[in-house]
Parts: sequence; structure tokens; C-alpha cells
Amino acid sequence: MDYFALLAINGLVIGLIYALMAAGLTLIFSVLKVVNFGHGTLYMLGGYASYYAITYLGVPPPAGVVLAMVALFAFGVVFERLVLHPMYTNKVERKDEYAIIVTFGLTVLLLNLGIVVFGPFSKSPPPFLAGALIAGPLIITYDRLIAAIAAIVLLSALSWFLARTSLGQALDAVSQSRESAAVIGINPRRMYTVAFGLGSALAAGAGALIAPIFALSPNMGELPAVQAFIIIVLGGMGSVGGSIVGGILLGVVEGLGVGFFPDPNRALAYTEAFGALLLVFTLLVRPTGLFGRPHARLE
Amino acid sequence: MTRSHAVQAVLLIAALALPAWAGPYWVHVGAIAWYYALLASSWALLAGYAGQFSFAHVAFAALGGYASALLSLHFGIPPGIGVVAGIVLAMVAGALIGWLVLRLTGPYLALFTLALSEIFRLMLVAEQQLTRGSLGLQVPGWFGGESDRPYYYFGLSLLVAALLLMAGLLRTRVGLFLRAIRDDEGAARAAGVNTTLYKILVFVVTSGLAGLAGTYYGPFVGILTPSMVILPEMGLVIAMAVIGGIESLPGAAVGAVIVYGLSELTREYGQWRFVLLGLALILVQRFAQNGIFAVLERPLLRPPAVEAERGRG
Repeated sequence: MDYFALLAINGLVIGLIYALMAAGLTLIFSVLKVVNFGHGTLYMLGGYASYYAITYLGVPPPAGVVLAMVALFAFGVVFERLVLHPMYTNKVERKDEYAIIVTFGLTVLLLNLGIVVFGPFSKSPPPFLAGALIAGPLIITYDRLIAAIAAIVLLSALSWFLARTSLGQALDAVSQSRESAAVIGINPRRMYTVAFGLGSALAAGAGALIAPIFALSPNMGELPAVQAFIIIVLGGMGSVGGSIVGGILLGVVEGLGVGFFPDPNRALAYTEAFGALLLVFTLLVRPTGLFGRPHARLE
Repeated sequence: MTRSHAVQAVLLIAALALPAWAGPYWVHVGAIAWYYALLASSWALLAGYAGQFSFAHVAFAALGGYASALLSLHFGIPPGIGVVAGIVLAMVAGALIGWLVLRLTGPYLALFTLALSEIFRLMLVAEQQLTRGSLGLQVPGWFGGESDRPYYYFGLSLLVAALLLMAGLLRTRVGLFLRAIRDDEGAARAAGVNTTLYKILVFVVTSGLAGLAGTYYGPFVGILTPSMVILPEMGLVIAMAVIGGIESLPGAAVGAVIVYGLSELTREYGQWRFVLLGLALILVQRFAQNGIFAVLERPLLRPPAVEAERGRG
């Protein structure tokens, strides 16, 4: 029982990190209508940015996370301005394909650049706080606790920002209708840039928070990116609340799927397939329902 | 267009003559390049012409390759019939996928096919007693002897035949219908195009060609592994097609040969090659959406185009 409680808590921490990543992906999709296939590498860059800030600049670990988010916000803004920008003009005929190709190209570029620059071997940044919280039979390292709390704070801050500030409401307006937003004086193009920067910063935050728990490696973003795709499809694009629900649902299905599979050896090999199967099934049964609501609302 | 044909004829002659003066290493490289060229050009038909951006194309190649190899291995079916069976299976699977994704477009289709291809790869890894998992399935060669030349010429003839077949298909009304579906599916349907039929048809044709590529790749390389289906492999095919020109089938094929040849030529630079590939993919898409050949050909083709314009006026 204690073992399961421990598993559940560890799962929850990772689930929150994935939710943070999925929230960034959702924000980008709802405003730009672009699925960012480069999200996993932005997460990876965030982890390394924090690592180098802590080890070479000597800043304290929490400041490293903030610096990583700021750096990736800037990266996201520059990428959006330089590469995604032509999408909103008539220069690009087929916008969906264009977006998939350039964001996928970003993955190829950054993943391999990561291997060249950071090296293929894993690196571990110092912990936020050494030691562990011991509550009866439960042992949680402070790093996991801090990562979970930071993720909750970031997700709450995002929800507040989107609901209560004028910039957040402008993003929401653009996500609902570009034309109507433009009519009331919101510049949609500026909102695209802001949304891509924020989404990148959220991915970076997730990567920086996970860094002391799991080691850093150039391909660390692959699995979380796939998980984030599944989560946003499940939870409904454009909904931060939905990405949290989707994260939990994914954890349950993967756990139960393995448990119910008759052959334990093959069940382990199929763990990743259950999530993919969930995505396939959701898209088939509700291709527009959960995924692409016409008025994707950011909660 | 005649100049374009002349360029293609020159390239074909160069490809035919290459084994005469290049060493066995480059013959081997060429024979693998035909595999990628088959995949890139058929993917260009699927994604560039018909607008069905699928991430599952390499999975169809693996399906064809594995199916034909397993049929020969377990049932002693002669390789020729095994190949046909592998291609037919890939076409049937293509029809099924094409039917399933009728309602999905753009990023939804991309995510769906990405997930399907991941599931297929994990099945290849997990079903060890059938596929031998990550160890890889040994495939007996078609041609005896050490030389790769028979494969080189066989692969080249497959590629040329596939390009002719696809060009022939596009020259009929089907080519127009596919582009109409890509540009505005609703309008195409309103104009009387049976969009369901042609979307499934393009999946069947391109999946069959991918399956053909897989059945050729297995006996040549001698081993099939699940890593044929990993995302970077699909990324390579996409990069080849985009760099060569996603809306030009010969362009995509030449793009594949050039990208693969360059990556072999610059092997000593290791991972930097893929950094450049990613950069090239973004830059080509950003500045030359019809591929690098469209940019290179433009000065070549302009005079005839102007004449054609005058002739029409």
C-alpha cells in the first residue's frame, strides 16, 4: 500500500511536469493554430540552460530555472519572428504543412546541435535542496516536492494571467477569433509572438524543474513531447485544465494497460503504445470534439 | 518542360554510368539512395500533391519488407510472390489508414499517423518470436555474389518505374483531383470530385510504393530492424522530399539521392551533418517552398515559360 502511495506521488510529480509542458503546447496551438513539433527540444534546451546558468554563472538553482525560462522565451520570440512569421502572410500557401515542417526541422536541428554541443552523455545539475521529506512511510525528495510545487505555481500563474490580465485576455481573444480580436484593436501578430514565447518558456520551465530529478541528455525531450501530444489531444486543445485532466488520464491508462495485459514481458514493451493508442482512439472517435473546438477557450 | 526532361535524362544516364567508374562503396551508397528516393518521391505525392501529411510512410516500408520476408521464411513462399504479397499488404493497410483518416487534416493527421507508426514500431520490437525484435530479422539476398551492382540496377529500375507510374497517374484527371483536394477539399467535393475515393486511392498507391521500397531494402541490406520506423528516419525522408521539392516527384527523388550522397560524403563530420540537415530543412521551407531545384531551375526555365505565356496571349 505504501509502495503504491509512493508510486502515485512520484507519478503525480511527473504528471504535473508533463502538464506544464502540455500547457505550453496548448497555449501555442490555441493562439497560433500550430502544433509545435519542436516542443520536446525546447524542454531539453530549458534543462541545459538552467544547468549552465547554475554551474558556470553560479546562480542559485531556482534562479537557474527562471533564467532558463527567460532565455527560452527570447528564443521562442526570435524563432516565431524569423521562421513562423511568413505564415500569416500570403507567401505561404499551405500553412499547416509549413508549420509542421519548420517546427519538426527545429527538432532535427536542436536535437543534433544538443548532441554536438552538450555531448551525448547525461549531465546532472545540483539539487534545489538536498535531502528528502519523510512523512511516516512516505519518502519524497525535496527536489520532487519543489518541482511539483513550482509546477502548480506556474500552472496557477498561467491560469490567472490568461483570465485576469489584459494581455492574457487578448491572447484568449485571438485564440477565439483572429478577425474579431483585430476589430477591437488587438494586433494578432503580436499575440502570436507572445504565445510562442510563453509556450517555449513553459517547456523550458518543465525541463529545468525535471533536471535535478532525472539527468539531462539531448534526447530527454522525446518522451515528454509525445506524452504532451497525447495529453493535449485527450484533454482538449486550448484548455489548461484539460491538460491536467489529460495528464492524469494518460497515467491511469498506461498503468492499467500494463496491468491488464496478459503477458507481462510484452506488457512492458507495450507501455508506450498504450498512450499512442489512446491518441489514435481519441482522434477517431472525436476528431474535432476534444481536439479542435472552434472557440478553444483558455481556462 | 523539355529542358526539365533533358535534365532528367542526363541524370538517368549519369546514374546508369556511375558503377562503371565509381568504386563498390559508391555503388552500395547508390543502391541505398534508391530506397530513400522511392520513399521521398512517393511521400511527395502523398503529402505534396494530395496534402496528406503522413508520418507513417516508413512504417509502410517496414510493413512491406517484414511481410515479404516473414512469408518467405515461415511458409517457404518464393521471394517473387513474397514481394507481391508484401506490396499488396501495404496497399491494403494504406487503404485502411486512408479510410480512417478521411476526417483528419493537417496537424491532426500528422499526430495520428505519428502515433500509428509508433505503435507499429513497438509491435515490431515486442513481438520477438515473430520479428526477432530489436535483434533484427535476417533476410536472404536475391542475387548471389558479393557485388551490389545487381541491386543498384534493380533499385534504379524500380525507382524509374515508380516515377513513371506516378507521373502517369498525375497526368490523368486524378492529378487534378488530388491537387483540388489539397487546396480546398470542400470545394472539390462541391465540384463533384469523389474526395473519399481519391484520398483512399492516393494512400493505396503511395503505401504500395513504400512497401515496394521495403521489400527491396530487406534483401539488399540483409537485415530488417524496427529502427527503420523511428521518427528520425521519417524525418530524413521528409527532409529529402522538402529539400528536393515536395511538389515535384523527380525533385524529391533527386533531393533524396543528393541528401543521402552528401551525408555519406561528409561522414567524418558525424552529428554536424544532421545539424545542417535540420537547418537546411527550415531554411528551404522558409525561403524556397518548392525546393532547391525550383530555385536552380528558374533561370533555366524562364525563357520557355515566357514564350508559352506569349503564345497563349
